[in-house]
Amino acid sequence: MNAQEATNTKRLTLPSAIGEPMVWLTGGALVVCLAMIVVLITMVVVNGAMTFWPRAIERVTLNDGEVFLGIATEDQAQTDTTASRTLYRVGNRDIGQESFRWVDDADVQTIETPPDAVMLERLAWGVWFGVPESIERVSDDGERTVIAQGSDAFFAAFEEIHRDARAERARGDRLKKFELGKINHEIEHQRLNLKQMEIEVTRGGDGLLWLGWAVWIGLGVGVLVLIGLVYQLRDFGTELGSTHARKGQLIRRSAWTLAGFLLVAMWIAGPWKSLIAGEQELEALRAEVSLRVEDLQKNYDEVLSNVRAIEDEDALDRIVVIEQTSGRFAPISQTLSDEPMLASQVVRMVRANTLTTRGKLGVFFSRWWEYLSTFPREANTEGGVLPVIVGTVLLTLMLTIFVTPMGVIAALYLREYAKQGFITSLIRIAVNNLAGVPSIVYGVFGLGFFCYTVGRYVDVGPTGLSRMEAASWWWVYGLVGVGALIGFGCRLWSKPDPGKEPTLRHVLIGRLSWLVWSVVFVLAILLVIRTPYFHGFFEARQAEGSPTFGARGMLWASLTLALLTLPVVIVATEEAIAAVPNSMRQGSYGCGASKWQTMRRIVLPGALPGILTGAILAMARGAGEVAPLMLVGAVKLNQDLPISTQYPYLHADRSFMHLGFHIYDLGFQSPDSQAARPLVWTTTLLFLAIVFSLNLAAIMIRSRLRARMMGPTV
Amino acid sequence: MTMMESESTQPTPPIGVHTSRGSGQTTDYQVIESIRRGETPGPTVHPEVFDTDSVIDIDGFNLWYSETQAIYNISMKVPRGAVTALIGPSGCGKSTLLRSINRMNDLVDGVRVDGAIGLNNSPIYAPSVDVISLRKRLGMVFQKPNPFPMSIFENVVYPLRIDGERRKSVLQEACERSLKAAAIWDEVKDRLKRSALGLSGGQQQRLCIARAIVADPEVLLLDEPCSALDPVATLKIEELISEISERYTVLIVTHNMQQAARVSDYTAFMYLGRLVEYGPTAKLFQTPMLIETEHYVSGRFG
Repeated sequence: MNAQEATNTKRLTLPSAIGEPMVWLTGGALVVCLAMIVVLITMVVVNGAMTFWPRAIERVTLNDGEVFLGIATEDQAQTDTTASRTLYRVGNRDIGQESFRWVDDADVQTIETPPDAVMLERLAWGVWFGVPESIERVSDDGERTVIAQGSDAFFAAFEEIHRDARAERARGDRLKKFELGKINHEIEHQRLNLKQMEIEVTRGGDGLLWLGWAVWIGLGVGVLVLIGLVYQLRDFGTELGSTHARKGQLIRRSAWTLAGFLLVAMWIAGPWKSLIAGEQELEALRAEVSLRVEDLQKNYDEVLSNVRAIEDEDALDRIVVIEQTSGRFAPISQTLSDEPMLASQVVRMVRANTLTTRGKLGVFFSRWWEYLSTFPREANTEGGVLPVIVGTVLLTLMLTIFVTPMGVIAALYLREYAKQGFITSLIRIAVNNLAGVPSIVYGVFGLGFFCYTVGRYVDVGPTGLSRMEAASWWWVYGLVGVGALIGFGCRLWSKPDPGKEPTLRHVLIGRLSWLVWSVVFVLAILLVIRTPYFHGFFEARQAEGSPTFGARGMLWASLTLALLTLPVVIVATEEAIAAVPNSMRQGSYGCGASKWQTMRRIVLPGALPGILTGAILAMARGAGEVAPLMLVGAVKLNQDLPISTQYPYLHADRSFMHLGFHIYDLGFQSPDSQAARPLVWTTTLLFLAIVFSLNLAAIMIRSRLRARMMGPTV
Repeated sequence: MTMMESESTQPTPPIGVHTSRGSGQTTDYQVIESIRRGETPGPTVHPEVFDTDSVIDIDGFNLWYSETQAIYNISMKVPRGAVTALIGPSGCGKSTLLRSINRMNDLVDGVRVDGAIGLNNSPIYAPSVDVISLRKRLGMVFQKPNPFPMSIFENVVYPLRIDGERRKSVLQEACERSLKAAAIWDEVKDRLKRSALGLSGGQQQRLCIARAIVADPEVLLLDEPCSALDPVATLKIEELISEISERYTVLIVTHNMQQAARVSDYTAFMYLGRLVEYGPTAKLFQTPMLIETEHYVSGRFG
């Protein structure tokens, strides 16, 4: 008993074993993290959403008698050096005043909220604060007659006049944008066709087009014979021991390779390539194009006169809104200050001081709608962000489409085919390190490699010194073919018989096969990048000095981001593949499936949820990147969307707008940064919402797939 | 025949060994002791085995995992149309031998073999053999049930799918036939489109057997098919093995002596990579030639 008691007293619970404080500590840390996230989200949501809420217009009378209309946007409490003061948004930039002004509270005599004060959101020059006086109409002789005098009559008549004017203006804009745009596009197209032909005629045929029809048909027969040979020898050597089996394989593969090489040669040096258009055809095309362009020009003038008519009609309705400091009205433009502005120049009139809550909600939502569905105005500080949204979503989708197959294929090879060892570990480390490279570095790479190297190749093909002599090109071509045959041979003879240990000879031949294949690979790349038989897809445009793919654009931006997010997908896919139980693979092999069949039917479907997780992570990462985009394609303003109803529908060569860059632009590059500040919040809110919803969509797709694959269990 | 050969130092123990039955002293285990010393005494093979028509011929087969030898000079014939069981303590190489027959060991790095295995008189380890088509001739069931994460139907017809079979009627017919043969049709016929992972362990294993026999293999290889199952499921699988043995040659690895006694017609006792005794199950369990076998099957050693 005593011994028992002694051991009991020895086993005391130490104070350090008490875990209570740790619960509080860990829980507390979690709470701090959560609180920060909640604060961030709340701030973005509140500030972002409130941007569009209409606020009261105040009429401020200062002690020195100055009067102005404005909206109080910010208060600053008294400090040691400054008195308490208020920031007013006063607009009216076109008559030469700052659109924001600080007012010391001590200077203010009275503040009223006059019911007839309005804020005009205009197409140009920002907002205008004033009191409406009259609506005028210009008659045929240029005289202006007043059709509504006084603010009550103004408000009564304004809505209808404004709606009609806006509708007409929209019609004119549509004509300009779509009809004229289409005609312009067509004219450009005709001109480029002509240019392309001119270039081809000047260049003449490609240097080495020696294949006559007879030789060409002979080669074709050769290809057929080779394929027949493969068919005839399909069982050769399978029953005759290892050496014969290998010889049979080598013969079959050689025949295939040779047939392939002959086919490519036949395609490159086909006799029809010498049928280059001559001067006569060129003249004919010239005449045809000029006729067509004339036609188009006629069309163009017709549409243009329609547009002009609409604009003239538009110019008849004028509104007079008086600002309160000096009594001037809002002018039609800065230079024509004695002409009152057009009704159609007003995007929205907000009579903030008399609005009911419902009315305010109406303004709020109409502003949101404008923001989401229209193009930006006024250096992005007004109007909408439609092209920005389209650019962001499209970029994210394209990068996901590029990165997922690339990463999956790489991971499949790395995990399933490659022999695990030093080199695969090295590659894994390299891939992981890629994830840590600063993203701007990818931007530099994208600009230098994709835009200026690959893009230029796509535009005009290899030029100057990088273009190989035709004769040497064909020598290298032959070398690649022979190298491939040797490579196949080495590969076949580097494998020991089944169940046998590889001897030194096998190992050496295996190394040799690696060497041969590396050389073949390098030469093959050389063949492609230095071919004298490729002149690019956009030679005519480049000849006029405007690159197509050889500049910053959507395609290169998405490829750069794909490269940037590649490690995420590779790592996730590798993990997912490794998580597919080996028993599944064994079962599949046991059923007589080949390695590829096992991968396609068992491993890939099993790893699909994990692969999609990787794609989602890549998407989230890529959507938020801004730095590389500044180099490879994001611009401050591009009114041309990267998708359109005109062929080729997806314009991957165009530069684009991006929400991340847009936020930066609004915050730091805008000429009217005070006006843009609330929009920074709104754009941030939108950006978050878009990234969240893209991710949400992907997660929903994943869970649906998972449910279909795994059934009710799991 | 190689099977009759015995090393001169270790002749087949005389009948007199049986006199020491019951004493259970390890000193009596002459064959086992010799094996433990690293020697490879010839196997004791009952003459009945030679009278049968064999489907698998293993001839002087050795296998190494890198430097470690796992199978020592095994020669045996697997009779056609019967159930042959491989028994022996853990690590005796019985699973390795089984997996050598459909060359699943090729998937392990550093495996080296010597000797020959023939399946219906065609060599398995010849250089020209296409492993993929070889495995199609054999059905295999593994220790743990491993249905694929797809529907029950797709699981069963998987071997046909990879052969490029697309005709719905053929697939459905084959699926029903092999599910019935695997005695699981009644349990799953209403939920063929549901995931196979929702089945119980025993059902999953029978599904795997259905999958293994759907393409009509020449031999069915079972690698401890019941070791992950409860007794009831085990019983069902055993009944199933007896049933399908009417149509297929079955080679089964088991660590359960009762199971071997119940389901098999022939039994081979292996120890440390060597074949010790091989003969008809009834004889091996009741009147074995070696005292070691008798003690092993009765659980007194091993």
